[in-house]
Amino acid sequence: MLLKVLEIRNLSPSAYVLRLDRNGIEFKPGQCANLGLKGSGVNREYSIYSDCGTPWLEFLIKEIPGGLVSKSLRQVAPGQMIEFHGPYGAFVLTHDSSVSIRYTFIGTGTGIAPFHSFALSYPGLQYRLIHGIRDSSEQYDYSDFPRERITSCVSRETGHDFHGRVTHFLSDQDCPAEDRYYLCGNQKMIHEVYDLLRQKGVSGSNIMMEAFF
Amino acid sequence: MKIAISYPPIVNADGQKAMVSQNRNVQFFKKPTYLLPVVHGQAATWLRDMGFEILWDDGNAQLKLFDTWMEDLVRQQPDVVVFESTTPVMKFYWDVVNQLKKQLPGCIVIMTGYHSMRKPEETLENSDTDIVLRSNHVDFTLAKLIPFIAESNGWRDNCPIEGLMIRRGDKDYYDTGDFKQIEPLDLSPDVDRDLVQWKNYAFENGNFLQTPGTYATSVIRDCMFGKCSFCRYNGPDLTFSMRSVTKSLDEYQRLVEDYKVREIFDDSGVWYRGMEARQFAQGILDRGLHRKDCYFGFNTRFGYMEEDTIALLAKANFRFVLIGLEACDQETLDKLSKGYAVEDVIPNLKMYTKYGLFPHLTIMVGYYWQTREQLQKTVDMVKRIMFQGLARTLQVTLCTPLDFTPYHQECLDQGVLQAKDYNDFDMSRLIVDTPIPHDAYYEAIREMYGIAFHPRFISRQLAFLTRPGTTNWKFLFTYGGRAIRRVRQHVFNLTKHQGAATS
Repeated sequence: MLLKVLEIRNLSPSAYVLRLDRNGIEFKPGQCANLGLKGSGVNREYSIYSDCGTPWLEFLIKEIPGGLVSKSLRQVAPGQMIEFHGPYGAFVLTHDSSVSIRYTFIGTGTGIAPFHSFALSYPGLQYRLIHGIRDSSEQYDYSDFPRERITSCVSRETGHDFHGRVTHFLSDQDCPAEDRYYLCGNQKMIHEVYDLLRQKGVSGSNIMMEAFF
Repeated sequence: MKIAISYPPIVNADGQKAMVSQNRNVQFFKKPTYLLPVVHGQAATWLRDMGFEILWDDGNAQLKLFDTWMEDLVRQQPDVVVFESTTPVMKFYWDVVNQLKKQLPGCIVIMTGYHSMRKPEETLENSDTDIVLRSNHVDFTLAKLIPFIAESNGWRDNCPIEGLMIRRGDKDYYDTGDFKQIEPLDLSPDVDRDLVQWKNYAFENGNFLQTPGTYATSVIRDCMFGKCSFCRYNGPDLTFSMRSVTKSLDEYQRLVEDYKVREIFDDSGVWYRGMEARQFAQGILDRGLHRKDCYFGFNTRFGYMEEDTIALLAKANFRFVLIGLEACDQETLDKLSKGYAVEDVIPNLKMYTKYGLFPHLTIMVGYYWQTREQLQKTVDMVKRIMFQGLARTLQVTLCTPLDFTPYHQECLDQGVLQAKDYNDFDMSRLIVDTPIPHDAYYEAIREMYGIAFHPRFISRQLAFLTRPGTTNWKFLFTYGGRAIRRVRQHVFNLTKHQGAATS
């Protein structure tokens, strides 16, 4: 399917938000889709970044050095059509507003994307977000989250919520076993955080994972 | 402790053998392909490295008869036997387990495989199996479980290792919880080729252009895409893990230089793409492995490889590229969550063939919604592709819902699944209701395989294989001969129910 590009919003030298006309597409927050330049024959998966109540679809994309798709999508002009396939994926919340479940979202870099969609789509969601990044240029759209819910773990800069990696931050944190933990981002972080949570007594059944390539 | 990693010989009423290793869909063939079970090979290697005695017991690849295989296994008196199973052979495996436990009641039987991991209670109820692995990370799980069993008398009651269902009593099963979906694959060892008797798998394999060939330790566990609804590597319980490029290159170097293999195929659901694919190809070139008369191959998806990457792969002596072309109408591709457009197919194939790679297409027919028009689109496009020389070989299978994949679940939910007996899931016939008679799908298969004998296709192949300046001509007789034999077997298997079928 082809969708019209509405806007490209640059967030940092390496990251941007691609907004597409939604064209009536239904999705569950946390799902992803394949995007590619029309006619290129090449596409990549990206998690949906936007609220399921908006008339558009947004994707938070990091431009990969040498990467064809992430680079070319940044160069499309509003009004141009791009290839879209999906949405799909099971990294979704089993959200029931009548049941009080607390969530901990842990992501690195653009792994914040599905959590952004969760937070905007489910008002009243009880969550905390722990975001691992290298520097403040990766603090994507923090204003969309209540300040008290987000902890920015910055490894290469000081003066933020926490100086260091998410694993270091989590090691001193209380991690209630009954909470649900959603991990998204690079595989190394996911290995380490999973092991840490298990050591803290969280059951594997309460840990959901989405690894980025 | 002695651990047997066992694959019993499976022979059907037609005298054909089946292989279940490597998570393959079971298909019976007179002359089967012997697939090295890579993850189980890693498990065997890991346990051996930990000091356990390993019996690599592949009755199929070792060309044993069932009775001989069973006698040999019983004589070996293993403490633990690990099996791998899948839907169409579940009943067979339950029977094998019960036979084995009668002769070796103290032996601990562990069942692995995608069917039992999703229905563990069923296997415990229907057989004397002791433990069902709910994890597909068989190597990681066994590397924790076996030492625990060795050291703990009360392992049935207090096992802390996740991803298991353990028999405690007759109807008393202990679920140890969800398994870790992502594992650091670099921790799992490369398959010890001598331990698994690699030469048993080095010749009869349709994925090898030249022999001896072997399967690499997979760079990706499960699938980085993981959305295709018919595929085992899909589900909320799965994600993917990736091995480092350097570790994999080290293994390739050993296989080429020490074992003198002439073909290495990576059977990861989907191989590297993008940066990792380029790094890998460059690593092959930097190490000079592209000059050692060895070809490399992998599975990929339409839409995953850019031209620059393909060019580099070709330079690094990659040849065989296996790509799923499940259908040639967009509605079906979307229903299967394939994530690419029909229009992507030809440009992708043109890129592969432009650089001399050998695309092998795996096509499926017989989806429960597939209309005559949709089926015809597939037949027409496949013909066009093959006659234009945009793929070198193809394989057609009947889409069979298996192992509680989303497609399987969908068939159950929609009430279109005809088969009630697991034995009927062997891909030899359609087992779902379809909008047109089943014979139409069998006929389509015959038509697509018939391309191999069409003068236009043969002349195209000859022209390709005898191009001056290439060494491809040498495959003409070896690979070509094998291919024709396989086509005949596929046509026999997939059309033997023609005429007996309705819809």
